[in-house]
Amino acid sequence: MSAVTPVISEALIRTNIVRSVSDVFKTMLRRSTKLDHVSVAEGDGETPTVVRDGVFAKSSLVVGTVGFLGEINGLIYLYFEDSFAQTCAGQMLGMSEQEMTESGEEVVNDAIGELTNMTVGSFKNSLSDQGFPCKLTIPSILRGSKFSIEPISDAMRFIYTFESEGQRLVADIILKVGD
Amino acid sequence: MRIKILTVDDSKTVRIIVRKAFKAYDCEILEAANGVEGLALAAKTMPDLILLDVTMPVMDGVEMLTKLKSDPQLKGIPVMMLTAEGGRDNVLKIAKIGVRDYIVKPFEEDVLIEKAGRIIELTQLQEAPPKVRSLTDPANILCVDDKPAIIQQIQAGLKHTPWKVVSAANQSEAIDYCSKMTPDVVIVSLSLPEEAAFALYRHIRSHAKMKMVPVFGLVVKTETALQQQAQTAGLLVVTKPIDCVDLEARIVKSLHLDTSARYFGSEDGYFTLKMPENCSPAALAEIATALKPKLTEAVDAGHSRALINLSAMTSLHMGAIKQIVQVMQLCHDTGLNYALIGNLHLQDECKGFEDTRSWQFFQSVEDAKTNFGKTPSLATA
Repeated sequence: MSAVTPVISEALIRTNIVRSVSDVFKTMLRRSTKLDHVSVAEGDGETPTVVRDGVFAKSSLVVGTVGFLGEINGLIYLYFEDSFAQTCAGQMLGMSEQEMTESGEEVVNDAIGELTNMTVGSFKNSLSDQGFPCKLTIPSILRGSKFSIEPISDAMRFIYTFESEGQRLVADIILKVGD
Repeated sequence: MRIKILTVDDSKTVRIIVRKAFKAYDCEILEAANGVEGLALAAKTMPDLILLDVTMPVMDGVEMLTKLKSDPQLKGIPVMMLTAEGGRDNVLKIAKIGVRDYIVKPFEEDVLIEKAGRIIELTQLQEAPPKVRSLTDPANILCVDDKPAIIQQIQAGLKHTPWKVVSAANQSEAIDYCSKMTPDVVIVSLSLPEEAAFALYRHIRSHAKMKMVPVFGLVVKTETALQQQAQTAGLLVVTKPIDCVDLEARIVKSLHLDTSARYFGSEDGYFTLKMPENCSPAALAEIATALKPKLTEAVDAGHSRALINLSAMTSLHMGAIKQIVQVMQLCHDTGLNYALIGNLHLQDECKGFEDTRSWQFFQSVEDAKTNFGKTPSLATA
């Protein structure tokens, strides 16, 4: 396994993440998604405004994360507002709003973890087929509000904001570069 | 024996989706959250199929699969991967260890059922005794033919039924329709190019949901070799030119529809039996099958009078006479008083048979109701 991430163009990353998000949301949730904002940062620069400021950053959030290790190393975070996370989990499991409320956070966490796993899996499978074989890590969930996720200095960060039938979803991709 | 499916996935969400997907089928879903639990449960329960994830804590799917395939007791259990780990190299590596199929997440529940149905025998679960469908129930008939005139002929011929005839011009249109809705009956032209009818038939039979759907093959009467080929494959053959009355009867038979509403009913407190215009052997068999249950039902419901209406009959023959005699005998045995209704032509014909010579008829249903229990005024001698 190489510790050095080869140079991958933003266009390739964008193509892969847009297709992955679209496939997973369409197949598992019957929801359409549309890319509406792109932000790229290098090194330990400031967290892009899309996840730092505004209504979204102040909301109660559920963030799913899955990493990939191999010829290319990185992490992808999927940000959902709490209510949207609950809606997605309900759609995925075929449960009503009331059933979801009664089921508690654990059920939502597991569903968002799996949605993230599928999205990152689809993303990294494309990278593998494009010459960057790697493997997935186990998903984990972050919950809270007014927090930020900061990459280490030798990382590239790509943030893609999606609109899904009136709801917002953010895919935050952090790729390790260098040793 | 109930099919057992073991789903091994660390995500409870996936295990719930799998359980939901197989809910309509007669199978037991067993769950394990990692490879260690999966191996233990496989050894204990010997499932008919294992659905296996790759990335899991404690023991991942690749290790579990390797151990499973090296265990003489367990290696025969078919495994289907259900995982977000795709990519050509990964799939090939895992396939070499020995899997029957591979589904990369995200996945459609229908795809999971379809692929599982190719490995194990899935049968639809019937929670309650199956409701017998009747002639008045709607049904979707998929008609696949590249000749619009044939489809129009079938649509016109079945127009009086509650069935909806939908058309497809070729195999791919038909498969597209089947992916969205399961038809109740498929009628496909055997003259479609490149043996498309047979390919479509194989497609239908390979899907758990459509395994029992009757498939009729349309063929010109003189093409006997093609008819034989279709029958050997398992299709029901309908010859052209199409006799829509015969086609309707065969659809009714293939769907096991309850046809008793054609003959039996109740009105104004009377149990009624209406003999058909043409008392064919098929019609008489339908009447004979439903007669006892319908009479029992009528007596249970408090009926004490029956009207046996023969006025639609155009001719009398021994088969019909035997059936009517049986009806009269059963009415008598169950304590139902009955009256016969018939036209003048039928009354004349009755004079020619020993068994029917003494039958007395009312001229109409109204006449019978008004004068029930009395001797009909225009009765035959």
